Amino acid sequence: MSDIITVKNLVEVYSDGNKAVDDISFSVKEGGFFGFLGPNGAGKSTTIKILTTLLRKTSGTVTIDGYDITNEASEIRKIIGVQSQETTVDGDLTGKENLFLQGHFQQMESAKLKKRVNELLQLVGLESAADKRAKNYSGGMKKRLDLASSLVHEPKILFLDEPTTGLDPQSRTAIWSYLQKLNKEEGKTIFLTTQYLEEADKLCNTLAIIDFGKIVANGTPQELKRQVGADSIRIGLENCERDRDNAKNLIKSMIGVKEILDSEECINVYAENASSLIADIVRALDSTDIRLTSVTFSQPSLDDVFVKQTGRRIRSEALVKAPSTMFGRVR
Amino acid sequence: MTLLSDTGFIFVRYLKKLVRNPILLFFSLAQPIIFLLLFTQLLTRLSNFPGILPPGVSYLEFATAGILLQNAFGSALQSGNSIVADIDSGFLQKMLVTPVRRPAILLGRLTSDAFRVAVQSAIILALAYALGAYVTTGIIGILLIFFTIAFFGLAWSGISLAIGMKTRSSETVFAIGGFLTFPLLFLSSALFPTSFLPTWVQDVSNFNPISYAVNAIRAFMINGYDWGTILPAWGVIALVALVTLSATLYQFRKVVN
Repeated sequence: MSDIITVKNLVEVYSDGNKAVDDISFSVKEGGFFGFLGPNGAGKSTTIKILTTLLRKTSGTVTIDGYDITNEASEIRKIIGVQSQETTVDGDLTGKENLFLQGHFQQMESAKLKKRVNELLQLVGLESAADKRAKNYSGGMKKRLDLASSLVHEPKILFLDEPTTGLDPQSRTAIWSYLQKLNKEEGKTIFLTTQYLEEADKLCNTLAIIDFGKIVANGTPQELKRQVGADSIRIGLENCERDRDNAKNLIKSMIGVKEILDSEECINVYAENASSLIADIVRALDSTDIRLTSVTFSQPSLDDVFVKQTGRRIRSEALVKAPSTMFGRVR
Repeated sequence: MTLLSDTGFIFVRYLKKLVRNPILLFFSLAQPIIFLLLFTQLLTRLSNFPGILPPGVSYLEFATAGILLQNAFGSALQSGNSIVADIDSGFLQKMLVTPVRRPAILLGRLTSDAFRVAVQSAIILALAYALGAYVTTGIIGILLIFFTIAFFGLAWSGISLAIGMKTRSSETVFAIGGFLTFPLLFLSSALFPTSFLPTWVQDVSNFNPISYAVNAIRAFMINGYDWGTILPAWGVIALVALVTLSATLYQFRKVVN
């Protein structure tokens, strides 16, 4: 597949001299699901604003589906769908009217638009609420309507700026499944920014990690995790103090083992081929009188990748927080 | 013509927003009625003093033109709030990532404002008619009154739109709108005959752009087609429009880019 988005040496300097985006280059393949991962203020939103023609770049080149962002912005606007970070539906209009208005802005012909609106209402599960005013929707429904409105004109590329930030886990899962469907079944290229590692890991087939305006790593999630190196096997022993050294000696000589460290459970084994080692470890320990209480296998997470690249955790806040739909309601 | 249809869609959007907020709709429609009744009742005895009002003209007939303008002025100066709301909610951005014609975003708002003011003006004229103030120039005159008011509203909307886009604050738009309304209205020929006013106020009034517009509408209502009053009024409105809409366009370009 060829590249549909190409960004070369992109720089954005704000009028206060702040370099929000500092010489980044990357490309997105047609039909790809690209994730732009980074903490708040890293430059994600600035980049997406440039790519969606809302902000003029300071320097560098951006090409989208063959069109140059500076000279052919109006062509680009016809083939992109954009969902911004804040949910932007017009609360005074019904769900259906919101979709029609977006379709009109995209100069769609009315018979086609009518059909498309019904399809979309079905896709995001808002048929029964279609004629209610959007101000009465829950936070999750608004987000779904917003997503649908960015899809009205069947864009080739979908830009999503933190599409699930502030949503409850249930709505988040729903959005994820729509996005996967759009990418896999309709072949849409998706460019997504997120500060949730789990989201990037689950959805994206290519990732770039951005921090302080610079891309610090990119590749498939698997490649990035491989860069961190070892998988880990956490082993708990019934009589840890007595058997720890014996166990370490037995495991140390096995092929692929990189490092063995003491841990709370008892020992942590770091290895490249950890999954295939588990059986060997269990067998070796079983042949002596060392008794196992637990064996846990884990692959490196994107969190490990982020820590390795930036020296800090992306955010300590857990993925699950109070659902936004609760705000403004009397409880 | 996409500019025309885009303007139409945005015009309809704003009208729906107005009609679907019954409280806003009620006050939009009640305000002109209150103004007309309040001022004409308060000052109706002015006609008892000879020489203040033109001979044979009641205060109601005199003040209707001023109240039409006062109403249009008030509406126009709050126009910028809508654009602040669209910037705040992100809806403007949502429009800007589509191929929608940029001028349509402003034109849609301005035409919906003009429409609202025209409806309010029709209510004032109907009520004034019921109370005994007639438009001497008839239907054509009424249409020209609507034209003048809409043009006037457009010109003054520009100020609040520019301020709205510059400050991005509804409070500021409200504050500046309120600040401008009373001095400009009371230092004009809108509600009081100029001869009734102190000399310095008369001088200010003679240069006040509001006075020009009021005098033109008063001509349509009372004196007939007095082109010596009407044409300069349109000229002054055009001049104001040129200044305020240039400022609006300048700010709009900054927001769009």
